[in-house]
Amino acid sequence: MSIEELIQTDTGVSAAVSGGPAAPPVIEVSHLRKEYGPTVAVDDVSFTVPAGEIFGILGRNGAGKTTTVECVTGLRTPDRGEINVLGLDPRRHRRELHERVGVQLQESAVPDLMRVSEAVELYASFYREPADGRELIATLGLEDAQHTYFKHLSGGQKQRLSIVLALVGQPEIAVLDELTTGLDPEARRDTWRLIEGVRARGVTIVLVTHFMEEAERLCDRVALIDHGRVAALDRPSALAIAATTGKRVRFTSTEPLPDGLLSALPEVSAVERHGTEVVVAGSGDLVTAVVLALHGAGIRADDIQTETANLEDAFLAITDETPHDTNGATR
Amino acid sequence: MSPAALSISPRQRRAFGLLVASEIKIAIRRPIGLIVAIGIPLALLVIFGSIPATTRPDKALGGISFFNLYVPTLMVFVLIAVGLAGLPQQLATYRQQGVLRRMSTTPVPPSWLLAAQTTVALILAVIGIGILLGAGAGAYGLALPHDAGGYLVILVALVLTAAATIGLGLLVASVAKTPQIAQGLTVLVFYPLAFFSGLYVPLQEIHSQLISDIAKVLPTGVGFTALHDAFGGHSPGVEPLLVLAAWAVGSCFLAARLFRWE
Repeated sequence: MSIEELIQTDTGVSAAVSGGPAAPPVIEVSHLRKEYGPTVAVDDVSFTVPAGEIFGILGRNGAGKTTTVECVTGLRTPDRGEINVLGLDPRRHRRELHERVGVQLQESAVPDLMRVSEAVELYASFYREPADGRELIATLGLEDAQHTYFKHLSGGQKQRLSIVLALVGQPEIAVLDELTTGLDPEARRDTWRLIEGVRARGVTIVLVTHFMEEAERLCDRVALIDHGRVAALDRPSALAIAATTGKRVRFTSTEPLPDGLLSALPEVSAVERHGTEVVVAGSGDLVTAVVLALHGAGIRADDIQTETANLEDAFLAITDETPHDTNGATR
Repeated sequence: MSPAALSISPRQRRAFGLLVASEIKIAIRRPIGLIVAIGIPLALLVIFGSIPATTRPDKALGGISFFNLYVPTLMVFVLIAVGLAGLPQQLATYRQQGVLRRMSTTPVPPSWLLAAQTTVALILAVIGIGILLGAGAGAYGLALPHDAGGYLVILVALVLTAAATIGLGLLVASVAKTPQIAQGLTVLVFYPLAFFSGLYVPLQEIHSQLISDIAKVLPTGVGFTALHDAFGGHSPGVEPLLVLAAWAVGSCFLAARLFRWE
């Protein structure tokens, strides 16, 4: 089956291959620690990635994400901890690992005056069983740019070339570090579709990002890394639910609310009013309780909205709990 | 052949060939290296070869012509150009831009890029020196050795001088964190080395004990003298060749110790 066909079969296949509990782990990291002089980049990181999963590593800049993937891909030697990737020790079996794990790193490039097609042909020659380079170039929409020098490519084209080079060895695992940083929203969404397509080929993906939206949209599971530790690890939606202490209902009403109408309800913990806008915080079946109470009192409410927490709230809630918080947050 | 060389598979040979080919393409697309290593020496050869006065034997130069004295200088210049004018900047740029980092994630280690760059430098050196010899002898009556032994000495002197200049280039690439620092260091090393190859004035015309003492230890001074002797049909002896070998081994050893991929 061609790569294009594989990518086009997207959703159906991805559901089948996405990491169910039965899928065997392809990456196992336990108690990873890495120091640079006095700085502890990774303190104690453990996680397991089953085959076929899109696994997200999420965190602020400097949280230890890149160091973690550099250790996993054999580019750095951990000070402590065990890493097993496809049954290989990344340090001892580095070359074999690189045959089977495609890596796209930040701050990496091909020479300025190398053409796209030349870079793909060259990198294909590095691998035992390379993919068809021209097909990959076409799949990633770089056909028009294949004779362009690397230095003349746009940011999005450079990223796409980077993905081509990470996939040209037909890897079983693709590690993609900050893939969409610096891309415009449209290019970012294109890239997301592409990653889903790659996963549909059965490739396990480790996605390093600091974009909540990206992790929420793409990842089966997410490890939140904060100060070199795994602060939380779960499905994005589960993390979001776990982080919320309650729900909120927002509506507008031109009529005055009788005292205690809403605040007396057992589901409600707080009521705030700014002009015509009312925000009710609480838990349980909050929406139903609020709507019934308003209806019972004959008060007309418009634009009723419910807010559920997303991964960003979860991220903030989880990382703010850590006592040693820094200001250099990237969001 | 070393065991490492024997263990290279056809696939790896193809990968290395492609690496060398792509480095050659890049060298042609940004031809400054070609101009310095091949164009400038050829231009100087043509200029001095066309002046009648420089091709006549000169008593002040020990009875040989300035032209015959200058061709070995130009050969040494080609070797400094390929080793020091191109290699360090290119490697420092590759390191800064992340080209080495990108390769370090593939089954082919970035040291191959170093080897490919060195191969390209050697190819340029062969072309540059070949043109000097061919044009010098063919068009301007360059005096050539009379026997095979003379050619052998020339070959050995060229190989050792090339090893020394390329070793120095790699050493500069190792200690320079950025292309800008590499450029600065290159200038610092390049001009003195060019001076002691006799590029600006023949060292024979400077009657200074200090200068000739320095020329006896610097790779370009020694390389020039060995080549000059060989062209004149004399044996340079073993000592200059040992000095060159020491430079080659020392600089490559230090470069290997100090080189940083990131």
